[in-house]
Amino acid sequence: MTTHSSSVWIAELSHSYKKQAPQVLTNINLSIPKGQLTAMIGRSGCGKSTLLQMIAGLLLPSDGAVRIGGKTVVKPSAKWNMMFQKPSLYPWMSVRENAALGLVFAGTYKQKQDRVDELLDMVGLSEHKDKNVQQLSGGQQQRVALARSLATEPEILLLDEPFSALDAFTRTALQTEVAQICHEQGITMIMVTHDIEEAIAMADKVVIMSHNPGEIVGDLDVPLTYPRDRSAADFIELKETLFNQFEQIDLAKQKEMAEVANQ
Amino acid sequence: MSETTTTPMMVSVVNKATSAFRQLPVWVQNVSFSTFGMAILLLLWWLGGIWIASNPDTESFASFAPAPAFEALYELVASGEIWQTIWSSLYRILVGLFWAIILGVPVGIIIGYFSTIRQIANMPFQLLRMISPLAWMPIAVLVYATWDNAIVFLITIAAVWPIVFGTAHGVQRIDPLWFKVAKNLGADGYQMLMRVIMPAIAQDVFAGIRLAVGVAWVVLVPAEYLGVTSGLGYAINDARDTLDYAKLAAVVVVIGIIGYMLDSIAARLIKLYSWRME
Repeated sequence: MTTHSSSVWIAELSHSYKKQAPQVLTNINLSIPKGQLTAMIGRSGCGKSTLLQMIAGLLLPSDGAVRIGGKTVVKPSAKWNMMFQKPSLYPWMSVRENAALGLVFAGTYKQKQDRVDELLDMVGLSEHKDKNVQQLSGGQQQRVALARSLATEPEILLLDEPFSALDAFTRTALQTEVAQICHEQGITMIMVTHDIEEAIAMADKVVIMSHNPGEIVGDLDVPLTYPRDRSAADFIELKETLFNQFEQIDLAKQKEMAEVANQ
Repeated sequence: MSETTTTPMMVSVVNKATSAFRQLPVWVQNVSFSTFGMAILLLLWWLGGIWIASNPDTESFASFAPAPAFEALYELVASGEIWQTIWSSLYRILVGLFWAIILGVPVGIIIGYFSTIRQIANMPFQLLRMISPLAWMPIAVLVYATWDNAIVFLITIAAVWPIVFGTAHGVQRIDPLWFKVAKNLGADGYQMLMRVIMPAIAQDVFAGIRLAVGVAWVVLVPAEYLGVTSGLGYAINDARDTLDYAKLAAVVVVIGIIGYMLDSIAARLIKLYSWRME
């Protein structure tokens, strides 16, 4: 298991898309130790994807900062890699070319081409590596995206609901695989999801976000080992705990919003 | 045999022949269709020739017909005269297209990428696009010292628009996530251009170039009516002046064949760089 020095610090982060516009994120404080698998859960529009993009350096917050390994994030880097809901592969390239792209950009492809083959083997695509990515199924495409993200040996893997468009079987398999890979390789993982089971299946810690504006309102530790048995009593119990916690927060928020609307 | 029995018999023969034909390899079918189409064209040309020859008002143009035309074409090829003519025209087309691509692709990328610039450029570009390239002729003659350069300018100005709009269309169709992913994987500006933007838009650029080739080839002939003493347009004008209608028709055939070949090359390039799977 490799160790990485970096961890993610988010301090006093707030964001609005335009000056004077209402905040989409407010007063976010979060510290993620290295190697931890974190799930951010919340309703659509709670700003969780925005927050993830800020950690990736694809967006800059209007207030506060994201620090990785002590340095403020100001731009994207191959060290913290993001997987999106869509695989977003380049359709003019083969499976292998797609997976190798980060290495090609870094100019290290020649030295590290074996790594691409190893990763494609790991995600079960070694026999498809010369195919065009358009010939693959949705799940296989997302696996290519995973191999592509891992090829640059990222310290942090950011996942923006990457399995939500897949069928249930593929989704479950990939959730288990990704969690296992991150765990084994010591990669810090931060994922955004609205699927409670996915959060419990993958994360060491679940952060609950509420909306209007997006803020962190609670968290839950998931002290389960990998691989996780979804039919085990403690898994089901944690799922229920998270669901209840989420529902209570959501109800409180709705009540609060109704009161504001009535005033 | 009565008509009532022949009709169903003929229908069944035609049906059998059609289904037998559909069993043939696709390329054989394609060649057959093209040959059939060309045969119809030749037939119409031949009939037109007969009609012209039989009409006292037009009989002096009778050598427009296929037989004298192909004879003249054979002479042009055998004497080697046609190659210099073709080369002069091809050279002008290629230089004109070269400049149209050099100007059109970057401009297309810029207006495709920046929506504000696109909005600003839209009206003036649409307006300029609709001006017949030949309308620029007097200006071209004033600006350029040689006729050759003036013609190249006219071809460029005709060919640049399809390339600009084709490229811009391609850029607009790029999935924004491709940029995000590439940035995230550490791409710099140059890598973004060469590994993402160019391959993504290549087929649209070549589709623009294909249209541009068509327009350029159409503009070339009238542009060569003026000033120059070489090229296919000049050859047509010269044949008209010397009342050599067989040669005129032969040059028309050459123009058609070369235009078809240029279009085929562009079509092949589109196919080569096309990544969308059916």
